[in-house]
Amino acid sequence: MKKLFTVFTIFVLCMSVLVGCSSSTSSSGDGKVIQLNFFHRWPTQPKKAFFEKAVKEFEKQHPNIKIKTEAVLNDSYKEKIRVVLGSSNPPDIFFSWSGEFAYNFARAGKALDLTDMIKEDKEWSDQIIQSQFIPFTLDGKTYGVPWSMDGKSFFYNKKIFKQLNLEEPKTWTEFMDDLQIIKDANITPIAFGSKAPWTISHYIGTLNQRLVPEDVIKIDYDPKNPEGDFSNPGYVEALKKFKELEPYFNKGVNAVDHEYARQLFKSGKAAICYMQYAEIGMVEPTLKDDLGVFKLPAIEGAKGDPNVITGAPEGIMISSKTKHPKEAMEFIKFLTSKEKGIQQVKEVNEYSATKGTLTDQNSSPLQQKAVDQIVNANRTALWLDTDLDINIVDAYLKGAQLMLDGKRTPEEVMKEVQKAAKEVKQSSAK
Amino acid sequence: MLHGKRKITPYLYLAPCLLFLLFFVYYPIVENIRYSFFDFSAFSPSKTFVGLQNFIDLLHDKVFYIALKNNILYAVISVVCQVFGGLILAAILEAPITRLLSGFFRTVFFLPVVISITVIALLFTFIYDPQIGILNNFLSLIGLEDWTRAWLGESETAIFAVIAVSQWQSIGYIMMLFIVAIQGIPKELYEAADIDGAGGIRKFLNITVPQVKEMIFVTTLITLTGAFTVFNEPYILTGGGPGNSSDVLGTLLYHSAFFEDKMGYASTIATVILILTLMISVIQMKLFRTGKDG
Repeated sequence: MKKLFTVFTIFVLCMSVLVGCSSSTSSSGDGKVIQLNFFHRWPTQPKKAFFEKAVKEFEKQHPNIKIKTEAVLNDSYKEKIRVVLGSSNPPDIFFSWSGEFAYNFARAGKALDLTDMIKEDKEWSDQIIQSQFIPFTLDGKTYGVPWSMDGKSFFYNKKIFKQLNLEEPKTWTEFMDDLQIIKDANITPIAFGSKAPWTISHYIGTLNQRLVPEDVIKIDYDPKNPEGDFSNPGYVEALKKFKELEPYFNKGVNAVDHEYARQLFKSGKAAICYMQYAEIGMVEPTLKDDLGVFKLPAIEGAKGDPNVITGAPEGIMISSKTKHPKEAMEFIKFLTSKEKGIQQVKEVNEYSATKGTLTDQNSSPLQQKAVDQIVNANRTALWLDTDLDINIVDAYLKGAQLMLDGKRTPEEVMKEVQKAAKEVKQSSAK
Repeated sequence: MLHGKRKITPYLYLAPCLLFLLFFVYYPIVENIRYSFFDFSAFSPSKTFVGLQNFIDLLHDKVFYIALKNNILYAVISVVCQVFGGLILAAILEAPITRLLSGFFRTVFFLPVVISITVIALLFTFIYDPQIGILNNFLSLIGLEDWTRAWLGESETAIFAVIAVSQWQSIGYIMMLFIVAIQGIPKELYEAADIDGAGGIRKFLNITVPQVKEMIFVTTLITLTGAFTVFNEPYILTGGGPGNSSDVLGTLLYHSAFFEDKMGYASTIATVILILTLMISVIQMKLFRTGKDG
């Protein structure tokens, strides 16, 4: 219980640092050796080792550059990066999700505009899949380089589908029928965990894209556009569709997290799980040929774009306060080179956003198919939780959690979202 | 000469500790109160003075009341379970009949106190697990299938499931404090009561309770302030969910500061927690009139 006090003290001390030391000196030393700080979100293996190795190799190639790495995991990263970027001594190079998460840094002037540097080195930048730059680009300026890309689909257990004589569902109605058949056979139809509620956002993000016209979404998601008020009936419809799935989830979704759901699916106890392509590498070794993938089935009469897949690149940005933008860019180029990209797919199961990095040696046919889907999709819809303003996301996720618990109706959730959106847009208009 | 020297030496010894306290405890508290009048985020280069607006917003925030209600629940249940339960446990363990085994039971009850709360919280996520958790399996085993539920995943039960973990963990600590207090009671009192023919319960009510009054005060203070500053258990077990149903002031503060990036608002919550805990201690000091022999 006393830990709160510690949290409280740390919080206040952080604040004092932010406010107190607005004029700090740089730590570049005597000019010979340059130190760059690199902040990423993978303190766990195998990615930790992958980056350690990359840093070592890079330092060998560039004896005048030293790279100091720091890493914290996922959710903590989201919190910590905001604080350190606001401080007077931010990391030179840092990892970022795309969309609103990255735009936020760009708007606050915390991220360096990389447009010119990308244009200068065409030989390198042309190797990167160009569409993946889009979610890092705001008002024509690019602020980040895509490092990995991902998409979301339903993974299913072919063995269970075969036993029950099921086919990959093409429409929502077929999908619901299949789910009922699986449930009747006493198998959990869909594995899901929403204790950490970002998993909800992935469902809703995709359903919104399907049920709400694209131009409406564009206005609504933009935190600065006061006209977008989330009043389109498609949003409520999306939540209703999500609620239709609820009887087919495992018991007590709010009490378990995504890792649990993945485990349930991996062990063959659940027929379907909504997962990221990057997770193929985690379940394929166990399920082998039984693993199949299908897109979220088409919803009859939906007004949105059926050919959108949800997914987003994750990338690397440079702080606007860095003293050594050139050297920092060198490191990013190194990380996004074709050679590193090939290793990346093989060693850490993340699809590199660099062209031609998927070979038969480092990936399975299913993984290659998945990446084709990402590259060929009409458009990728970003993860809802990094695409929207954090306060709107919060209203969405907390509301949806209660909806799964039977405490809120889809209409009530949307009312909360509309209220949050109104507040966000009002305060950004100031 | 010597006299003057002696006067300054004790203060010199106190100085380092005092400086640390000033810098790490009092300075943050004062700064925090100042921050609560400003509106700012970790990004914003400057802070805007908003006066009492943060406090007004807080009073209109529905989640604040949910959190406050949960904290009060925490406090009430903690006092009943830990202070009263702990006292009764201590009295039982110190009773002549159980003396032989008291060493063993003391260890059993105290063990959870020394385990890291993070470990305990993770352990209880397994216990509460809706499908593989032993709590639900146990309930179905004894024929209470209707009682099984996703303890941490349902709005009605989440906060109680969290509170239960805290009780399990902390009761041993409070019990230990009472054991120490009971051992300090002069034996003659009990002997005199024996001669008068008093039974066990009588002795407990008329000797043990009045004699450990001071300790009851201390433990109530510890549990009450603990209940209002609780953070780890709800944060790890439920993250405040589902929705906000198991949020407490601590998790609300954390969420506002590091998730929503409303630093000023978070400071306001911290200030409110400070005021609440201060009020509790003042009221209790008045009620128990410690220091003075009542």
